[in-house]
Amino acid sequence: MKVFVNNTEVHLAPGMTVRHAIIAAGLTQEIAAGKKVFDAWGNEVGLDGAVSENYKIYIKDA
Amino acid sequence: MQHSKIAFVAFMAAILVVMAAILPCGAADLRILYFNDFHGFAESSRRIGSDELQGGIAHLSFRAAELRKEKPSLLLAAGDMIQGDTWANLFAGKPSIDVMNAMGVDAMVVGNHEFDFGKTVLAKRIAEARFPVLGANVTGLDALKPYVIREVNGLKVAIIGVVTEETPSATHPSNVAGLQFLPVARTVRQYVSELRHRVDVIVVLSHIGYNADMELAGAVNGIDVIVGGHSHTKAVKEITVGKTVIVQAWEHGLVLGVLDLTVESGRITSVSDRLESITPALMKKDEKVAAIVENYAGQVRESMGKVIGEALVDLNAENARTGESNMGNFVADIIRKESGAQAAIINGGGLRTSIMKGPVTVGNIYSVLPFNNYILSIRLTGQQIRDALEYGVSGIEAKEGRFPQVSGISFAYSPAREAGKRIAAIRIAGKPLELTRHYTVATNDFLAAGGDGYQVFREAIRQAPDFEIVGGTIRSSNIVYNDAGRWLRDVVVSEVQKEKKITSAVEGRIRTESK
Repeated sequence: MKVFVNNTEVHLAPGMTVRHAIIAAGLTQEIAAGKKVFDAWGNEVGLDGAVSENYKIYIKDA
Repeated sequence: MQHSKIAFVAFMAAILVVMAAILPCGAADLRILYFNDFHGFAESSRRIGSDELQGGIAHLSFRAAELRKEKPSLLLAAGDMIQGDTWANLFAGKPSIDVMNAMGVDAMVVGNHEFDFGKTVLAKRIAEARFPVLGANVTGLDALKPYVIREVNGLKVAIIGVVTEETPSATHPSNVAGLQFLPVARTVRQYVSELRHRVDVIVVLSHIGYNADMELAGAVNGIDVIVGGHSHTKAVKEITVGKTVIVQAWEHGLVLGVLDLTVESGRITSVSDRLESITPALMKKDEKVAAIVENYAGQVRESMGKVIGEALVDLNAENARTGESNMGNFVADIIRKESGAQAAIINGGGLRTSIMKGPVTVGNIYSVLPFNNYILSIRLTGQQIRDALEYGVSGIEAKEGRFPQVSGISFAYSPAREAGKRIAAIRIAGKPLELTRHYTVATNDFLAAGGDGYQVFREAIRQAPDFEIVGGTIRSSNIVYNDAGRWLRDVVVSEVQKEKKITSAVEGRIRTESK
């Protein structure tokens, strides 16, 4: 499953979540530092949220 | 007296005029309260970057009851309610059902994680629920209802439940054996067609994710509202696709969704939606729900101290970042056995503490494996296994957590050599590794996603982006086992409970060479 984190493509196994996308993108430190994850519509999403093919997420300051 | 009568009549007439202006003839109010992806997070907690307690199902319940008094309401739960936090997991999801019964939930849709305890347990949970549990696109589990019709404030409201078709791809195959997950849009279209002329409002209670909700709204006419879950989206305001209003309320009971509708002649004429934060410091709690939460929380605390077996030796994780450890062997062996893989590779840094010889409690195992990790098995080439091991020992100078603990594999490495050229004599199942041959290798989801910098598992996943679900099981060229619904630590607890006496030794799986 192809997912984009800050416009970088990562590939995940079925059932993996936003958390895994962030691990795959090597950005876990940003979350530890207090940044939040948002979807393409600007909604905050939880780390355990499901992702889908071509899902786009962005890590930003809250 | 006559004057006061006239004044009263005039006052009432004015009220009627105002009411008529506000609420057209035949119009009725409907409030939908909603939450999703609760995952058994019953107690308040602090989130990263915040000092404030958030969430807590007893507080959410109190607020829901207050809001229900204001307007005729429905309380809906959009799936993934019973699995996740230890509070729910230790009792196979029953605490969540007890709480939702106490809250007076009107309907719930099954989420993909509702299947994680197996079909039999789910049927039992559904039988305990005093509300309908929906799953219109699931066949093979009769306890699930496709829809329910509720009458609220004179309005007939149909609630159709659907869950993601991908449910079988991330749970143990036995959990969904005999079940079929039908295409969502086709299913909803069928029920909308059946119900549209019978009701005033059609709500789809969905567990398919926010993007999929939007696609569904675009694909199927006649849905008035989609109350969603699965993607844990904090949709602070509703969106409308065509004539369908879509909402979702984040996760873990951190917020309560409040959707106010006015319905006139089967048409929604006004919409107002908001998410209310559940902030314990500012809110009262529902004492009945609080008592249920505390009862199970007390049992969790008790369970953590429960002796489930005996360690015949010290299980040492202290050196798991620099060499073979018997704790590493113990956990890696369980992962390999559970998944049926030929080998297992895990990160030494994931083993957080040791267990001393003597009685072993559930809490001991949870301390060793505190993270919500699960088991996958991925098909790797011999070359990829070699690359994984080379990478694993490349950070030994800094005692990096990536150091591999293995099962079914043995190898030698030389710390004195340049990183990337340290590994030698790799054997699998006692035979020399063949670089071009494929092997099944179990690991945890953290490494599989590329955690600790491991590339080979994610590379193997990338090489097999397509998967299909055949007969309820995942078929993929590279992912051969994927049980996202059962935490590794719970697998280890089960194994200790089964074996009773546990032991493990450093047996030369990882040998250090001086040159």
